[in-house]
Amino acid sequence: MTDFIPGELIRLAVALVALMGFIAANGMMLLYVERKVAGHVQRRPGPFEVGPHGLYQALADAGKLVGKQLATPSGADALLFWTAPLMAFMPVPLMFIAMPFGENLWGLDTNLGLVLILSFAGFNVLALCLAGWASNNKWSLLGASRAVAQAVAYEIPLLLSVLAIALMTGSLDLRVLASSQGGWPWQWNVAVQPLAFFIYFVCAVAETNRAPFDLPEAESELTAGVHTEYSGMGNGIIFLAEYANMLVVSCVATVLFLGGAQGPFMPGPWWFLAKMYALVTLIIFMRWTYPRVRFDQLLNLNWRWLMPLALANLVLTAFLTKLFGGA
Amino acid sequence: MREFVVQVSFALYAAITLGGAVWAVTAKSLVRALLGLTISLMGVAALYVLIAAPFVALMQILIYVGAVVVLIFFAVMLTRAQSEVEEEGPKDVRRLWRSGAAGIGIAGLLAAACLKHGPTLTREAVEISPAKLGEVFMGTYVLGFEAISVVLFAAMAGAVLLAFQRRKGR
Repeated sequence: MTDFIPGELIRLAVALVALMGFIAANGMMLLYVERKVAGHVQRRPGPFEVGPHGLYQALADAGKLVGKQLATPSGADALLFWTAPLMAFMPVPLMFIAMPFGENLWGLDTNLGLVLILSFAGFNVLALCLAGWASNNKWSLLGASRAVAQAVAYEIPLLLSVLAIALMTGSLDLRVLASSQGGWPWQWNVAVQPLAFFIYFVCAVAETNRAPFDLPEAESELTAGVHTEYSGMGNGIIFLAEYANMLVVSCVATVLFLGGAQGPFMPGPWWFLAKMYALVTLIIFMRWTYPRVRFDQLLNLNWRWLMPLALANLVLTAFLTKLFGGA
Repeated sequence: MREFVVQVSFALYAAITLGGAVWAVTAKSLVRALLGLTISLMGVAALYVLIAAPFVALMQILIYVGAVVVLIFFAVMLTRAQSEVEEEGPKDVRRLWRSGAAGIGIAGLLAAACLKHGPTLTREAVEISPAKLGEVFMGTYVLGFEAISVVLFAAMAGAVLLAFQRRKGR
């Protein structure tokens, strides 16, 4: 019987359920943090006056999302229309599964963790395409083409900056990548590869459609993008996927550049979470601080600055790695 | 018992692959057909995992689902978006039979060749590390590897050239 249901399978199932819980809890919490930060930065009364410390505001937001009717636009392809949000959310737990939250805390034993995350991140683009197409609405379709142009463009420098770290360490295993760095900040990869970290961070913000790169959403100025026709939880799931993607990119940055679960003292998951939430908070602060870029600025920044910089960084890294025999 | 699990998962993944392919061929709307193709490609990726080639499986997802399908989607979107009604013609039964027979014939031929001359199956598949894979690409199969890159470069240069010509014509 033990042969029939291998231990690895049980471990995977438990890890997936735990990660779903983690994502759901973080979704609720980030919703609250986001509104709170927005309230502080832009003096919004909502998240301060509704309940103690504005706690009810998050509940009200969630209730509003769940309570709304799920409407399918007339003439739309209902199957594709409802597949899109599911496809946006489905790969998210899989992206977390190889994440080394601690020395011995991870879901799946694989030496391809980095490739796993990058390959499942590609689903988001397809989900955006489907959502825009199936909405039977020109705004949604234009929004989808905007979103996809952005996602595809920023994926390339992101891959190149991540590749520089992989070259330096000589591994695609997230655990090896994390444990190859020391506990102190000057032993992290960010000290060796500051340019790669900068490129990665900019691209990650753009990939997750966060400000100043939130052109796919742009609810007030561009009449929203692919989500125009989605009501209630359809929209909610797309946004939950966005928050979860924000967590994923912060986790990957923590593992690749900030030493993962290592710390000056008592290494463990708390260091990982602290670094991750610091990055998430930074992304949230950026959203409420900077104005949105224009679309031509967005593409210029990517193709004229980030791409050549990432390529140069990669070539330089390869050269130095070969010269000094890193891995 | 282990063998049973392997057999069942093979049947499941094969069913996903074939089901997606059938949906891709029979779907009335082009975008639905594309979704069927995606499901089929995912099934193939799962089959790669089953033969202990996770790197190839992940590359399959990264390249095909992440890039090629999106590219085809754009092609569908930019070309004949409103012609979905035209494509939905009356069903030609004889044509269906002919194409089905041709497909099954080719599949049968390939299967027969594989069963007759394929590599002998071993019980345990051994996973190859990406480092080893890179060494093989840069050593034994370097010519093929380079030839692929030339083909890709030619395709990209051709695409750029076509795009420029169309812009000039306008």
